Amino acid sequence: MASKIYQWLDERLGFDDLYKGLLDRPEPRGTWWNTLGSATLFLFTIQVLTGIFLLVYYTPSPDHAYDSIQYIMNGVAFGWLIRGIHHWSATLMVLLVFLHMLRVFFTASYKFPRELTWMIGVLLLLTTLGMGLTGYLLPWNQRSYFATTVATEIAGLVPWAGPFITRTMRGGNDLSALTLSRFFAAHVWLLPLTLAALIGVHLYLIIRHGESEYPTEED
Amino acid sequence: MDEKFKQRVRERYQRALQHGERFWPDSIYKDLLVSLGLFILLVGLATFVGVKPEPKVDPSDTAYIPRPEWYFLFLFEFLKFIPGKLEWLGAIVVPSVAVAVLFLLPLIDRNPHRHYSKRVLAISVMGVIVVQMVMLTIMASVPAPAPEQTAIKTMQMLAGLAIPAITLILLFIFSTMAKDPAAQRKSLTATAGIAALAIVVLAGGSAIPLQRNAPPKEEVAVAGTIAEQVAQGEELYALNCVECHGADGDVTVIQGVEGLDGKVVTPISSKDVMYAFTDDTLFNIINDGLSELGMIPFGTANGGELSPGEIESIVAYMRYTWDDRMELPEEQRVGGIPSLAEGEVPSYDVHIEPLAKRYCVSCHRAGKENNNYLMTSYDEILNTGDDAPNVVAGDPNSILLQVIQGHTVQGVNGEIDVMPPNGKLLKDEYIDMFVRWVMAGMPQTAEDAAAAAPAP
Repeated sequence: MASKIYQWLDERLGFDDLYKGLLDRPEPRGTWWNTLGSATLFLFTIQVLTGIFLLVYYTPSPDHAYDSIQYIMNGVAFGWLIRGIHHWSATLMVLLVFLHMLRVFFTASYKFPRELTWMIGVLLLLTTLGMGLTGYLLPWNQRSYFATTVATEIAGLVPWAGPFITRTMRGGNDLSALTLSRFFAAHVWLLPLTLAALIGVHLYLIIRHGESEYPTEED
Repeated sequence: MDEKFKQRVRERYQRALQHGERFWPDSIYKDLLVSLGLFILLVGLATFVGVKPEPKVDPSDTAYIPRPEWYFLFLFEFLKFIPGKLEWLGAIVVPSVAVAVLFLLPLIDRNPHRHYSKRVLAISVMGVIVVQMVMLTIMASVPAPAPEQTAIKTMQMLAGLAIPAITLILLFIFSTMAKDPAAQRKSLTATAGIAALAIVVLAGGSAIPLQRNAPPKEEVAVAGTIAEQVAQGEELYALNCVECHGADGDVTVIQGVEGLDGKVVTPISSKDVMYAFTDDTLFNIINDGLSELGMIPFGTANGGELSPGEIESIVAYMRYTWDDRMELPEEQRVGGIPSLAEGEVPSYDVHIEPLAKRYCVSCHRAGKENNNYLMTSYDEILNTGDDAPNVVAGDPNSILLQVIQGHTVQGVNGEIDVMPPNGKLLKDEYIDMFVRWVMAGMPQTAEDAAAAAPAP
């Protein structure tokens, strides 16, 4: 019975093809350094899941943002755990992205035919940093407020377009409710969608070209 | 890149696959193991380190020194070496060029070889930059040197900007000069190695004395739970509000406050106030003051001393103390004045400190008119005051006990001291608490009090 159900589903969904195409692939011999990319992907998944939980209680308005996080920390069952994981996972994710990039650099894996995989990777790094920057403001505490003030000021140093960029980021001349809602929208929709799309391309390219082998003397 | 080269790369990859492993289960197994380890690490960090509490936004707090997330610290530190006028160069141009080079790296790096020995330039350049970034992060996490510490500032400047910049230029020059690949490799490795070592030594050498002289970190008290908020609010209320509104918020005519004597105030603990005013209204009154009634603004935004978070704590304290619709669950209560059992001896730590905090320190602290009698610590209660000592172990005629019971006492300066200034005595149970404490010899800790108690 079970095998019949499996067969019925497989005919329609194609598990076996998926298994052959995605999982049952030959690979060059790897080391533990090759796990950094998948570890980053794992942290991204953690961020999405814990982020959704936080989204249930978080209110992106200056009047309630701080209190809603206090409530998550003290009122919601295991809210402190979810927020703690989200916080630390963000930190580790940046660290792992950097380490992953260094690994790829030192093994020269960005060379033919994987040039595009690297470029997408750099965009992933920038988007991840953008997630960190926008997420930093959301607790609406002293540190986040003043750090964002400085960050948007730095963006204003761009020649010619600077003041416009600062005003666009802040939604006005000063940090306000508009800044918070802009950063919130970027943090929960714009950047995660960008990140997910880029991850999709990155993974497609990895499957297409295969994981790179460690260089030997003759390379 | 010709077809022959591409063909060779593909062939070598096929050969690597022959001696390779399967994605499933060989690689996936390692990936899953690392992910599991990370998950355990995350739960551990969330549980045992947690997220550092921060006070609520207070835009008027100009003294706040912002710090970026740790992964932007290197840039933050790097910018310190760039003079103000060129800030755009360090903040915009250098990072943009770096990102562009990173993005276009596969197109810029035309070296077809992949083995480390044939990529000495690329690896040296990246190595120096990574060492620089790590050391910049370390320098940013220790206190900044004082303006007069020129030696340390020079060391930081060399490690963070000068040596890396010169090394990068040298590496590119050497890479074009030497003809013999072996000699070139040697010169590049030596340059990068010496530079990296110099950066580490200079940055580390500057960080160690700075870290050693670092002032102890000031812990900012941030009330997290409601109970903590109420406890913080109680203290702040005693310091800022008691003089005019009284410890129980029931004063109707201000007495003994310079400039405001005789002013009529609404008893703020009354049901009228508690039911009619929302938290926001109370917050705004404390924050902005009521100038027409003589109440000064307390919020930092208006030049006062209380941050928004602190005002909220006071509002929480008022609510949970006077509003009969609000009640803090018993197990959450912290602080407060515990009541005494029959025959129990009170101690400073458990009973007198919260009692003094709520009813006495609003006047009996530095900077107030109080005969120089301060009550903010155990030692002060015992030893300060123009008529010191105000408490004598076992003496029912101690000045403190006399005045709180409404008796007038003539002090050494001939003045007749009347306490408390508004003529309102403490509750009997609190007077009794002070009496019992002095009679038992002013025990400081709960253990001392237990030892002083008569054996049952």
